[in-house]
Amino acid sequence: MNYSIRRARLSDIPFLAKTVMEAEKSATDKFSFSTLFNKSEAEALELIAAMFDEEVDGCELSVSSFLVIEFEGKPVAAFSGWIEQFEGESNSGLLKSNLIGYTFGRESLSFLMTKAHLVKDIQIEREANTLQIEYLFVAPEHRGKSLAHQLISKHIEEAIKQFPSIKKVQVQVFKNNLAAQKVYENCGFSIVKSAKSNDTEILDYLPSDEKYLMEKELN
Amino acid sequence: MNRAEILEKIGTILNSVLGHSNFELNEELTAKDADGWDSLTHMIIITEIESAFGVKFKLKDLNKLQNMGNLIDLVSGKLSEK
Repeated sequence: MNYSIRRARLSDIPFLAKTVMEAEKSATDKFSFSTLFNKSEAEALELIAAMFDEEVDGCELSVSSFLVIEFEGKPVAAFSGWIEQFEGESNSGLLKSNLIGYTFGRESLSFLMTKAHLVKDIQIEREANTLQIEYLFVAPEHRGKSLAHQLISKHIEEAIKQFPSIKKVQVQVFKNNLAAQKVYENCGFSIVKSAKSNDTEILDYLPSDEKYLMEKELN
Repeated sequence: MNRAEILEKIGTILNSVLGHSNFELNEELTAKDADGWDSLTHMIIITEIESAFGVKFKLKDLNKLQNMGNLIDLVSGKLSEK
């Protein structure tokens, strides 16, 4: 098949924004950038594209973090990956916060703060000096062709080449997303931690009330 | 407005957003040193500071911040542009 893998570029931004949306929804209709910020899906998608336009490196919302697979010249799958706080670099959570705060504006943030307790319950800290992967999406018509596996392998290969001291790769996944968990398990990941909310309101805003941290050792 | 006054005003915002003052308010303070200053509260702290001082930070400048001293430099620079 004519699939090719490459680094994302600015012209991929619409596809990357869709990737973020589909990954965040985790096979539900709950899109956190819409529900938690009181924005329509269309507005949230535009704001995600605007965040990519800022070209901030070192977090999941960086164009430079994404690998894409294209088919007949069009992106059909994408996955973000970056080294967390490598040798004292900035915490990706704060970089992402700066991006969101800068882009979404005060009103949306005020709304978010009324729901912050829900997010905090299932927040899992990212570990410094690890390869973090986030936001996997494969277009439905291209599933079942091991594209996710290829993206993960390529991220690991590039991370080890560039940062040989990296010891593990981690991914966070909602409990309801069994398909993604299966992909990660097949790639050698296992669940090492979970975070759960006991507040049922969370299901009005997020795909699940529980998140898993899955990990794979790199040798 | 001098550095001490800027620090004091930011301190009031931190107390309000974090809901406590269990940290040493000085120029070496970092997000790690104050309980509850995480990626979520960080967003609101920055927007509250912008609102209180009537300034808007550049994203590039925000991403370079390492500690409170840097934040005071940023606010001070913005105020002098006014």
